Amino acid sequence: MTALLETQNLARHYKMGDTIVRALDGVSITLSDGEFLALLGTSGSGKSTLLNLIAGLDRPTAGTLRIDGKDLATMSPEELTRHRRTNVGIIFQSFNLVSTMTALDNVMLSMMFAEVPKPQREQRAAKLLESMGLGGRQRHKPKELSGGEQQRVAISRALANKPRILLADEPTGNLDSRTSREIMELLKSLNERDGKAIVLVTHDAALAKQYAHRTVTLMDGAVQTESVP
Amino acid sequence: MSLSMRNLRQSRLRTALTTLGVSIGIASLAGMVSLGVGLQEQVVGRFMQSGVFDTLTVTSRSLLGGLGDFGGRGGGRGGPFGGRGRGGEAGSAQSAPKLDDEAIKQIGALEHVREVYPETRLAVEVRFGDFVQTVTASGVPMSLKDEGPFQTFSYGEFFPTDSAGLCMLSLDMSKRIDEKNPGGLIGKSLTISYAAAIGGDTPANPQLGFQIQRRDTPCQIVGIVERETGPSLPLGGSSVSGVMMPLSVARSIDKEIVTNAQSLLRDPQQTKSYTSLTVKVDKAKSAQDVQDQIRKLGHSVFSVNDALRGAKNAFIVLDIFLSLIGSIALAVSSLGIVNTMVMSILERTREIGIMKAIGASNTDVRRIFLIEASVIGLLGGLMGIALGWLVGQIINFGANVYIRNQGGTTGTLFSLPWWLIAGAILFSIVVSLVAGSYPASRAARLDPIQALRHD
Repeated sequence: MTALLETQNLARHYKMGDTIVRALDGVSITLSDGEFLALLGTSGSGKSTLLNLIAGLDRPTAGTLRIDGKDLATMSPEELTRHRRTNVGIIFQSFNLVSTMTALDNVMLSMMFAEVPKPQREQRAAKLLESMGLGGRQRHKPKELSGGEQQRVAISRALANKPRILLADEPTGNLDSRTSREIMELLKSLNERDGKAIVLVTHDAALAKQYAHRTVTLMDGAVQTESVP
Repeated sequence: MSLSMRNLRQSRLRTALTTLGVSIGIASLAGMVSLGVGLQEQVVGRFMQSGVFDTLTVTSRSLLGGLGDFGGRGGGRGGPFGGRGRGGEAGSAQSAPKLDDEAIKQIGALEHVREVYPETRLAVEVRFGDFVQTVTASGVPMSLKDEGPFQTFSYGEFFPTDSAGLCMLSLDMSKRIDEKNPGGLIGKSLTISYAAAIGGDTPANPQLGFQIQRRDTPCQIVGIVERETGPSLPLGGSSVSGVMMPLSVARSIDKEIVTNAQSLLRDPQQTKSYTSLTVKVDKAKSAQDVQDQIRKLGHSVFSVNDALRGAKNAFIVLDIFLSLIGSIALAVSSLGIVNTMVMSILERTREIGIMKAIGASNTDVRRIFLIEASVIGLLGGLMGIALGWLVGQIINFGANVYIRNQGGTTGTLFSLPWWLIAGAILFSIVVSLVAGSYPASRAARLDPIQALRHD
């Protein structure tokens, strides 16, 4: 398997008053195409910071972060936007759906920024929601949906632009155990059936062990252990 | 685009209030400018209506005007006219070219000149049954049909042909003849009488005496016209006199009429010169050009443009002043836009974070907010125009009721030409965009990670 994503001595430092917070300090990891990687760690370990860097929402202080050999650190803002739009799809613990939009509109939103023509947008969004078992709930607003349904809308949105990597930031953090399992099974099938590379951020070691091919444990901004697949 | 519209719909009350703020701003601005334009049209428009912008009045440089020929004949008599100063003027009158048929030909040959005709005003006696009065009769060129005061007739119509025996009356003149039913005069005949000098002016025998004879010409009344209510200027053929005849008829009477002793002493060898000439140019724009050319020929020229230039400048100042007052309201409402948009961004910080996380560029975010601002501007502009129009109509109505009670002529105080409507809406959009640009770029610059953490 070729390396889809590769970081070398990746660091992200914040200035907080006079002190420098080393949220991420020299992390080197790789992600192969089609791999399911879990980033494990307690809160403040730097796992979310790493995810934000991969998502292109943040820029590293030092080190490199390559996707297909291209370093995100040296990308222009426009290139970074394109990276967010096409290379990665992201799902959050709190779903982050636009509350005033229907499920269908939420999924279409990401394709709108990618300038997909409206008929295709609508068609693909409907198809995605259908495949998530939400065929009958397209016109519902997030408030009218259960947590599991909302997360499935969010997953549909993340997949809309056919990203190379699916980034999941504590996707089950706000869900009960049964729904959590459903969502994790869904991610697993996306990985196995469609070969989508997934980076899962979680603090739940059992969950990571059960679903991921490989687990990287972070502590204080550095890699503590790395499990072998 | 659809995103922006959805956002606006989402916060309907806030959008409505902001839009109302903008519309009040635009209404006051448009209302003020509209008032300025309206007042200007009230003053300038009356002149425009009478079609005098393409009309020039040419007089002789000599202050004595039509009597120039008299001074020319007996230059030495300048003295009796009143001292040295007058004498000097009489002298200069000699060098000034006369307004005679030659001058008419010269001016007529100038570029852009459509028509030249002398002003002919004659004192004649008018008889109609028992009614006898001395009035001013003037010659009206056929080209004035449908122009100036002859656009609308109280009764009847313009001369169908320029043949003798036809005349028009002013409305007040016809009322003097028949108070109750002036319109009934149409088709009836009145008699115009004047004293005519016969003989004596034959070039072959200038010393031969002449005879003064009374001439009676009947004429049929074809039309009755109202005198202009606005300020009237001494403009040749376009003003209304008691009795009007076709110009050619008036000129032939003018050749033989005897109004005073001086005209009897006129040297028959000399061609008659006119008090003033009316020059019509092909379009108002070339009036200045023609004016300069005629001045070069040595005549005095007067046009309404001269008189109105000062007034126009005054109106520009008035317009600017009124616009400034209106702009204050608009400035306040544009702050309202800024406020609304900043609030909206605060409220939607998380949403902006989401949009950026799933692939919206800074430009996308900025565009969403700018479209919102311009939609507010467009709606505000449309509403503002409607509001301004409504208020203007109400004030118009009220003012006209008052003016009517005072016995004045009613008119439109507020005028809303299409350029003002288009301009106001465009201006509203531009102001909204400017007001929205700061909040929009603030939204575009939001850090997505922090925005996503925002509740």
